[in-house]
Amino acid sequence: MAGTLRREPVTAAVAGVLLYLALGVAGLLGAGRGTGLLAILGGWASLLLWAPGFPLGTLGGPPWGVALAGDTLAVGFWALAPLVHAAAWWHERHRSTTFHGLVTLLVGTCLATVLSRDLFNLFILLDLGSLLGAILIAYDLRSRPVWAGLRYLLLSALGMLVYLLGLGLVYGELGTLSLVQIAELAPGLAPPALGVGASLLVVGTAVKAGVFLIGFWLPEAYRLAPVGVVTLLAGLAGKMGIVALARLSEALPVGPAVAALGVITGFGGLVYALWERDLMRFLAYHILSQYGYMLVGFGLGGPAFAGAVYYTIAHCLFKGLLFYAGGSGIEAVGVREIPHLAGRLPRAAGWGLALGTWSIAGLPPLAGFVAKEFLGGLVPSPYAWALTLLGVGTAASFSKILPLLHPARGHGAWGGVLFLGMGVVGFSAWGLASLPGVLSPATWGKALAAVVAGYGLFLLVRRVRVPLPKVELDHISLAVLVAAGLLAVAHLLVG
Amino acid sequence: MEGLAGAALAIALVGLGLWTLIVRRNLIWKLLGLNVGASGAVLFLVSLAHRPGARPPIAGLGPGPSADPLPHALVLTAIVIDFATLALALVYVIFLTESRRTQDVRRLEREEGEWPERLGGSR
Repeated sequence: MAGTLRREPVTAAVAGVLLYLALGVAGLLGAGRGTGLLAILGGWASLLLWAPGFPLGTLGGPPWGVALAGDTLAVGFWALAPLVHAAAWWHERHRSTTFHGLVTLLVGTCLATVLSRDLFNLFILLDLGSLLGAILIAYDLRSRPVWAGLRYLLLSALGMLVYLLGLGLVYGELGTLSLVQIAELAPGLAPPALGVGASLLVVGTAVKAGVFLIGFWLPEAYRLAPVGVVTLLAGLAGKMGIVALARLSEALPVGPAVAALGVITGFGGLVYALWERDLMRFLAYHILSQYGYMLVGFGLGGPAFAGAVYYTIAHCLFKGLLFYAGGSGIEAVGVREIPHLAGRLPRAAGWGLALGTWSIAGLPPLAGFVAKEFLGGLVPSPYAWALTLLGVGTAASFSKILPLLHPARGHGAWGGVLFLGMGVVGFSAWGLASLPGVLSPATWGKALAAVVAGYGLFLLVRRVRVPLPKVELDHISLAVLVAAGLLAVAHLLVG
Repeated sequence: MEGLAGAALAIALVGLGLWTLIVRRNLIWKLLGLNVGASGAVLFLVSLAHRPGARPPIAGLGPGPSADPLPHALVLTAIVIDFATLALALVYVIFLTESRRTQDVRRLEREEGEWPERLGGSR
């Protein structure tokens, strides 16, 4: 009986995904841009039907059913996805129905990815997301974005090749692809095939996620994609690799590896962000440093997992807002460098950047502050210190765009700023209400001190110029293999 | 083919493909390398399904043990995905060849500044 009761939310969620994908295909076939709006409404309606979530479910009967899980992470992304889609839809409303069909398909893929608990199902959905992402990044068919899209495609194909090999090893050892069953078997990494397989799975997914160095397709792609697309990538679709890493570290004992990747990517991205002058590339490098928080939380698991879920949703909201505001401002002004943009942005872009910046820098009482405090309180001390340092670095690198926050003339594109801004404000209010612990004066003082320290660091680093090496495609491909090899050796030694 | 020999051949193919992917500078060579590597991964999954003395996993072929059907199903999907990726990548390579007059990765990576459009530009 319990089984039949649990099936209904699963049915509603699957129906929501299928509706999204069907409307995407209809849009591709020329049914009009309205299909995107219908899909947004359908997605929210389906979420309302299964909103409290379901612990576990399967699609299809045993033994080949695909495992699904409607946990907090899935509910959060389902609530977020239509909002980000709406902002992107509004900004690109003059584009063709084909474009909107592709966007709808991409969002539908993301909705399916967050539900999936099956290794091969994740593989298909991540690959589909990469293909759609590569098409959308290069949609305008100008040569630089096409090159960025091709780099993304090549690297994600390499990552997925590595993933497929890992999948084969894990399946050969455990005889199942369902992450739920794998978690129940609670395997150690002692069998060599399993240690190597798990390492390959983690590295392959990390390439797709855009982790530092092995996923360095990300900055160029985010810099050159159309504004609506980059909002969608930063606010939703780009996080699917992170979600997959979270699912892997829930089932397989790869948590420490994921957390270590998080620390590396956090500081690596920060170093590149500190000295970057191009606004969009700066924001993109900064995404990497924010991945640090998420991967540390997901990798450590336990209570920190909840903190990371919270942080990921907050991050999607304010990072989507930052990219939307920055991109629409650049569209209006026509230059990309931060110093040249100062005082020239339209009001919508200026306000959007301001809200996003204050939030990401951790200024109380905004979403970034709440999320950082919540996550920081749940991770053990060496990691908590690393995260505090990252927070100071975030404030330092974002001090650079303070001159952009005095908008000059014109209104600019308010639509997406309003959607995502409401999301950030609503999330902040909800966070403060549900986590009364962060309201104490001590936490406020600590957060303000971190912001001030960050500004001081900014005053120091802007005097020096560090020539950072340019990372090329071949370096990244080699780094993927080296990372996979190192992780496999580490797992073999530990196992 | 025996399972172990299949797995060894698969790993050799993956190595060869990845070597080509990293060492060659030409985009077409890179794509070829990627595809050879992907074929290696596919062969690896198929060789996992092998059981000594098993028949192909097709219903109605008679009694006796059959090979594991699941990897075969996965492989079909993986081949389709590889095909789609290769097709899209080739479209991009054709576009870059026409607009940038090069397939050399190093030149594409190191060209700074604005890239003038030789084709029609945005659609």
